[in-house]
Amino acid sequence: MPEIVPPYLLDRIAESAGPRFPLAAEAARRALLRPPSPRLGPGPLPEQPSALPDAPSAPVRRISDAEGLEKLPGRLVRREGEPATGDEAVDEAYNGLGDTHRLFERVFGRDSIDGAGMPLEATVHFGDRYDNAFWDGERMVFGDGDGEVFQGFTGSLSVIGHELAHGVTEHTARLRYEGQSGALNEHVSDAFGALVEQYALGQDAEAANWLIGEGIFTPEVEGRALRSMLEPGTAYDDDVLGRDPQPGHFRDYVETSDDHGGVHLNSGIPNRAFALAARELGGFAWEHVGRIWYDALVSGRLREDETFAGFAAETLRTAGERFGAESRERQAVLRGWQAVGVEPEAGDDAGADRPAPRSAE
Amino acid sequence: MDVIVQRSGGLAGLRLTWQVEVDAQPDRDDWVLLLDELPWHEVPAAPPEPDRYVYRISCPPNEVELAERQLTGPWQQLVERVRQTASPQRGGAPRRPGR
Repeated sequence: MPEIVPPYLLDRIAESAGPRFPLAAEAARRALLRPPSPRLGPGPLPEQPSALPDAPSAPVRRISDAEGLEKLPGRLVRREGEPATGDEAVDEAYNGLGDTHRLFERVFGRDSIDGAGMPLEATVHFGDRYDNAFWDGERMVFGDGDGEVFQGFTGSLSVIGHELAHGVTEHTARLRYEGQSGALNEHVSDAFGALVEQYALGQDAEAANWLIGEGIFTPEVEGRALRSMLEPGTAYDDDVLGRDPQPGHFRDYVETSDDHGGVHLNSGIPNRAFALAARELGGFAWEHVGRIWYDALVSGRLREDETFAGFAAETLRTAGERFGAESRERQAVLRGWQAVGVEPEAGDDAGADRPAPRSAE
Repeated sequence: MDVIVQRSGGLAGLRLTWQVEVDAQPDRDDWVLLLDELPWHEVPAAPPEPDRYVYRISCPPNEVELAERQLTGPWQQLVERVRQTASPQRGGAPRRPGR
């Protein structure tokens, strides 16, 4: 049966319609438990079920408060199932982690960062006017911003998804945070960060803004967001910040010793390939490009020092496996890479010299 | 003698640079003492952490690159002092490798 009501809406009904509309809530819960229709084309990967698990698992969230110090983990202020605290950053982090867990679990069948229900830990109010958010290998950490350029980092769902996706990459492809593989690591986080936001809002590829970090700049900044996946280099143009320096084509790849080889600059190139492919296909991006990218991430075939060309080849391979060699999905992915000047690495099935697939985690 | 602190990376990938002309400082001798005591040649490599800052601190002929986590002790003192003394410059062309 085709899913007319998108899963995000079913989620909402299942979770919130309970007391007033018990029948609707129950029906939504049952719909969520049904395996999706077999519309995904030939050759689904056996080790990465697209079917929903029998018993959907719930996130285990723990939000701590660093209370303005640069010390981790801080004081635990909200555990799973506890009511909202009234502290905006705490509650935004709690909700954002729930939205992120939901995308990975419902769409990709992955339970949390490690695929085995690992608790989602976050610390907010880190540091004094701290202008950043990061993943430290165990937890997501969010500053409050300086109030002049940045107004906090938990207000953007794509940022929360971005940080959690760093954990997923660390547990799967382990893309080394340097040079091209580092830019791919950043790209994967932007791609899944954008998908978390689109899934939560029920946006298709056309309606989505493809921005990372919308709303984290103060109103004084001339800019929409940190990055634009669709149009890299156009997210901001401001007297103080300067102009968004991201390239959107491989000929403009930036060689630099800053920031591990410009990982936050060069991610613009694969970001644009991803967004272009999604827009060409239309509909919900998590159902096609998101699926293809996730399959690549967990295939065990990506090298830790992967290049753009090697990554592109692997997305073509997983697109072919999931949707078919002649599918429009695979064609769109190929055109996306070509549009940004990345020629997928040659080879029958993405290279004979690749490592044998590891067992999926 | 100039000391330059450059911070790159972070989720936003924005670069900030602070520069202090040490000889022009009223407390020049304190600066020189602090700079002399820094363990310029004892900085171990650190594993990268996604979205964290990277600091490049230079006072020719010395230069080190530090992960945010390594910014402790005298390095932290220096960076705090530099930030209190100079206003940050934003942006600029990305630094070319091998320089």
